[in-house]
Amino acid sequence: MGKILFRDFKIFNGTEFIEGREVLVGDGKISKVGKDLDSSDADVIDGYGKILSPGFVDLHAHFRDPGGEWNEDIGSGARAGAAGGFTTLIAMPNTRPAISEPSLVEYVLSHGKAAGASRILPSGCVSKNREGKEMAELLKMAEAGAVFFTDDGAPIATSSLFRLALMYTGKDRPRIMEHPEEISLFKGGQVHEGKVSALSGLKGIPAASEEIDVARGIALARETGGRVHFTHLSSAGALGLIRQAKKEGLDVTCDTTFHHLTLNENAVINSGYNSRYKVNPPLRSIGDQAALWEGMLDGTIDAIVTDHAPWHMDEKDEPFQDAPFGIASLECAAAVLIDFKNKNYPDVPLELILKQMTSSPASLLPEKWQSLGRIEEGAIADITVIDMERTRIVDCSEWFSKARCCPWEGIALTGWPVMTFLEGRKIWQDNEDL
Amino acid sequence: MPSEVGQIVWRHRNVIDVDCFTREELYFLLDQARHMENVMDRPIKKVPVLRGKMAVNLFFENSTRTRVSFELAEKMLSADVVNWSVSGSSQAKGETMRDTAWTLEAMGADIVVMRHGAVGSAQYLASKLKRAIVLNAGDGTHAHPTQALLDLYTAWKHLGNLEGKKIALVGDVLHSRVARSDIIAFKTIGCDVVLSGPPTMMPREINSLGCRYEIDPKKAVENADMVYLLRIQKERQQDGLFPSVDEYHRWWGADDNLMKYAKPGALAMHPGPINRGVEIASEVADGHQSVILEQVRSGVAIRMALLYLCGGGVR
Repeated sequence: MGKILFRDFKIFNGTEFIEGREVLVGDGKISKVGKDLDSSDADVIDGYGKILSPGFVDLHAHFRDPGGEWNEDIGSGARAGAAGGFTTLIAMPNTRPAISEPSLVEYVLSHGKAAGASRILPSGCVSKNREGKEMAELLKMAEAGAVFFTDDGAPIATSSLFRLALMYTGKDRPRIMEHPEEISLFKGGQVHEGKVSALSGLKGIPAASEEIDVARGIALARETGGRVHFTHLSSAGALGLIRQAKKEGLDVTCDTTFHHLTLNENAVINSGYNSRYKVNPPLRSIGDQAALWEGMLDGTIDAIVTDHAPWHMDEKDEPFQDAPFGIASLECAAAVLIDFKNKNYPDVPLELILKQMTSSPASLLPEKWQSLGRIEEGAIADITVIDMERTRIVDCSEWFSKARCCPWEGIALTGWPVMTFLEGRKIWQDNEDL
Repeated sequence: MPSEVGQIVWRHRNVIDVDCFTREELYFLLDQARHMENVMDRPIKKVPVLRGKMAVNLFFENSTRTRVSFELAEKMLSADVVNWSVSGSSQAKGETMRDTAWTLEAMGADIVVMRHGAVGSAQYLASKLKRAIVLNAGDGTHAHPTQALLDLYTAWKHLGNLEGKKIALVGDVLHSRVARSDIIAFKTIGCDVVLSGPPTMMPREINSLGCRYEIDPKKAVENADMVYLLRIQKERQQDGLFPSVDEYHRWWGADDNLMKYAKPGALAMHPGPINRGVEIASEVADGHQSVILEQVRSGVAIRMALLYLCGGGVR
């Protein structure tokens, strides 16, 4: 594989911007970061001041494969990720069948590789067949390449299973990812319990549903010394519990989503209850949204994820109450967040959100993948180029993803990924970026 | 023309909820309903304003009275009427609602009146139709605009200008599309709206609805001009929202004693069908303050007015 020299870029190294350097890539690795590098046998890419970032790492995406390929498959998901600047995507295991044995972990890995786009890393279920009863073969799945264990789509069914899994996996195995929700408070729920449920009559999902399960997970992490990662945090209360637990020194981490950072329940109301805003956990109050930004600033939140949940239009394009939960966003998530930040939080440094899309989530992966999310010598050459001046209108009809609607359809956003490289090989480029 | 009614230009095609109307538009609509009610008293109950128009009553949920009320209104306006009842839920998936909408339009429907169990369904249908208009006859727990309008009309006929009048809504607000639309309609027209009922049947964040809540119905009803009893679905008791029908009736059921706290001559209202001995005692339902049957009559008049104004009668 040939060498590439990236010249005249503003380089974000995973933590901060570094000035006046060039990046040389060869053999799928970053071979040099420095000044006036030798370009004699390399293709040169001139950045004209664009940003060079480590490829984005998404800890939480759904690809419906196996079992729901008309909604998305691993190939379409991997291509969608590349077009969104994501080079590593963690596939959730709540497929049909659920990914709860090593052969299925291998299935996800091999189909991901065959797609030739973003890197797909599988997660495995905590429980066999995701039934919430017996522990799945966690060690075999880890050996096959699973990077997280989760029963996502649902919380781990019982506290005893949760506790056993934490004890069994300990500190040197993939982390347990918990979908925080108290099921008895969810039953039939559709939207955030608050203003939107009062106005619509739709059954509310109280924030307490999330808080209760986070409290359970923290108690079990404290007791076992295990590591818990809480995913798609949506509420101020749950975030407060995690902040406390981190202060206490427990090994708990969390992520929130692009849509919870940029939308709240008012979007559901103002849309006249359009199903494209239907998601679980639900879009919560303005106060919750503001609390998530506080959590970003003070480091309580470790990662930003898409929770990419694609549906075929025949399933998603229904009246609100009849439609399934889920927002598909891989191909616009980064732009959605950059545009929102610049308009609403202009003082928040860009490196803060980029860090939570790159080095910070990568640090939660197993040892083998720790060099992801960084631009430094010897690191895997996953690179995303961002053009902060680029303005594009979100048009789902052009997506690689099979999903054909999202909350931002038709909206002009500024600040887009324009080129994506995986292990030094270009896997996507914005057609208009020459 | 009563003083509160002015002349306006009607700008609405679809009616998804009453929040689209201004106070002036509401009074204009009420005044139109008054003319329509006169038609109901004629020996030949028919005017030709919708002649040649096709109205489809698309009912995904059983509701004989709402459907019959719309059908009578459409027929008195000379529309051609088709009743399309879809048994079972749309989740049973014979057809997506999008396909249903396109089918209706292909057949040439001008007016679609829809009742559906899902919140947001009327808005959804309207977004898929290019030509036909949509009147929401109830979308899940969200809205029931024609019920709220007929309630307003009934109150207006009895009380005149409604500015500053007090209405108490008592019962299951949480699951009630009638309550949601009534709250908006009565507030828009300038009434003081107070809610009462079991706390388990009230939405959280009631203040986002813009009205007060009193757990004690006597306090809610105190000095009210209108006492509106909401229907209690007995299956809510199985959901555990209240312990027994008897306990509900003792606390929140309307009897003569509760009505004493309201203004003398206050109206007793109910959207029907009534559960005697649950939310309302027979002494109130059949008493001299009850306007429940007038509400039914008002329903036909107000639906005629709405069909006339939105359905092309004025174009």
